[in-house]
Amino acid sequence: MDIGPFEADNSVSCRLASQIPDVCRVEDCCLGIDEAGRGPVLGPMVYGICFCPLSKTNALKELKVADSKTLSEVERENLFQKLDEAKGYVGWALQILSPNTISTSMLQRTKYNLNALSHDTAIGLVQYALDSGVQLKEIFVDTVGPAEKYEQKLSQRFPGINVTVRPKADSLFPVVSAASICAKVCRDRIVKGWNFSEDLGEVDTDYGSGYPNDPKTKAWLLKYLDPVFGYSQFVRFSWSTAQTLMDSKAVAVHWDDDEEDGEKAAHRQNNKSMLSYFSASAGGNDENPAHQTHRFFTERRLRSLKTL
Amino acid sequence: MATKKKRTPNVHNDSWVVIAADSVIDPQTHGSDPAFVRLRNPSTDGASLYVLASGDAQLYEVKAFEEDLHSWFVGQTVQRDGKLLFVTPMDPLYLILPYLVKCGKEGKFQPVDQVVMDEEFPACSRLLRCTRSLASLHHIAEEKEVGSLKFHRYSEEKTMNWLKKKVERTVVALRNRNISVGEGVKSTTYVRVKSESDYCEEDYLRYGHGLISEYISEDLSKALLRHLQLPELTSPKETEPPSKRRKLSDKPVEAGDDYTKFNSPDFARKPPKKMTAAQKSLAKVDKTGMKTMSSFFSPKVKAEKK
Repeated sequence: MDIGPFEADNSVSCRLASQIPDVCRVEDCCLGIDEAGRGPVLGPMVYGICFCPLSKTNALKELKVADSKTLSEVERENLFQKLDEAKGYVGWALQILSPNTISTSMLQRTKYNLNALSHDTAIGLVQYALDSGVQLKEIFVDTVGPAEKYEQKLSQRFPGINVTVRPKADSLFPVVSAASICAKVCRDRIVKGWNFSEDLGEVDTDYGSGYPNDPKTKAWLLKYLDPVFGYSQFVRFSWSTAQTLMDSKAVAVHWDDDEEDGEKAAHRQNNKSMLSYFSASAGGNDENPAHQTHRFFTERRLRSLKTL
Repeated sequence: MATKKKRTPNVHNDSWVVIAADSVIDPQTHGSDPAFVRLRNPSTDGASLYVLASGDAQLYEVKAFEEDLHSWFVGQTVQRDGKLLFVTPMDPLYLILPYLVKCGKEGKFQPVDQVVMDEEFPACSRLLRCTRSLASLHHIAEEKEVGSLKFHRYSEEKTMNWLKKKVERTVVALRNRNISVGEGVKSTTYVRVKSESDYCEEDYLRYGHGLISEYISEDLSKALLRHLQLPELTSPKETEPPSKRRKLSDKPVEAGDDYTKFNSPDFARKPPKKMTAAQKSLAKVDKTGMKTMSSFFSPKVKAEKK
């Protein structure tokens, strides 16, 4: 697995994929989907698919792929090695969602939540497999959000393919386990060698697990908080851990889609109170009520100044 | 997820982001840095900021672009105030005019340096040093020369002709710049198929008049409107629709509508209107087992107890 393409620009989403085994184009195949790094406040989230012919599922079982969470890092690396050696019948593809992609998706004007982002990434990978000519008949997925809804969404999106969404699918189906190993190995490698694009000097990489409840992670976040910019792109800004720290320790930044108190916002936007429409005639401007600036200037937000 | 954040008021800062004509910092006039001065705004009668540069030879007005929630990144610093200042050339005659009008009421010829005086804005006398000031006074005043001394008296007629020319030149500029002068708002990114050439001359004149009015007193603005032969627009307040409530009076009340026709023998109900396609398809719905609408309004029948 060469994570070079992602490291070239770790601010965007990136796809890595193996060669498509020839048998997968002629024989009916099954495909597993799993993700790594959903919860951490640091680093990317990696989505992985793994596929092989239905006739080879037993061969996959014999590789003793198991749920990646039950394995040590070395065991995972070894298993990934084995999967790579089985390239005659096993194929994989990964979609790396950089922390920056996650932040900007979740914090944009029209919010794009993590579940939707996850679903769309999974769909994108399945579509990639189909476009590459893999003869998909069955899909196994670990659940994200309510299982039934997800299953329905995927079945509708891919008619003719049997979709099974199941919690703990990564320990039930070998093909999902294989996908989870690919995703996890990839995420580990990326996090380990993260290339900070910001000029942070010598970065202390002792940030623990990256999960919000890890005291080491919290301490690291506190240490690398910039009062103006907040964090490096390694951090998911949309995580409440990061947001809370920025709210309390960094300079307040106001965006025009921030929620504000109704009355305050109304005042700021110069909205008139409903009541003012019922009073006799309320004078508008403070200084010279008769003078109204011409719309050429008001439309362009231009005004004269009294002082600098 | 957005939390409530307290907004602290903008604190004063000592730098600004300015767009200015090159002439403001003309390197040829040594030892005379451009200076911000406060002068009387002819339109509001209050203070406004102007710039005098090149040893007072040039006058500039200062306008600020200011929208909520903007900040600047300047080099390696952040400037909270997102204002953008524009320093643009301005005809000093606009600022001299109010002083002449004021003294013109006495009807006397006076030396102009005695006219342009203001306790509140002492800098106003510097306006007379501008290159264009003295040379163009004849646009707004009658001149008399006695020996080496010049005397001036405000002339409304001359001023109106001068202002009219200003409006006409503004109209030319508005046309060249394709500025939307009609009613309603136009987006600059939205390209209309229909050309906007159908703005009539009056729209342009009015808009130009409005722009020039930003630089003259309200009285002059009204006089200029008459001079341009534009009727004054009546404000919508005066043309409010009459009250719907019937005024009380002693006169006998007549029925507004004639309902007697319903009782006449030759009254026939109109045939039912043709149904729309949607109504037709609704009428075809199988209604067996459905309750009628009226059944929901009849008193409740208590369910039998088991």
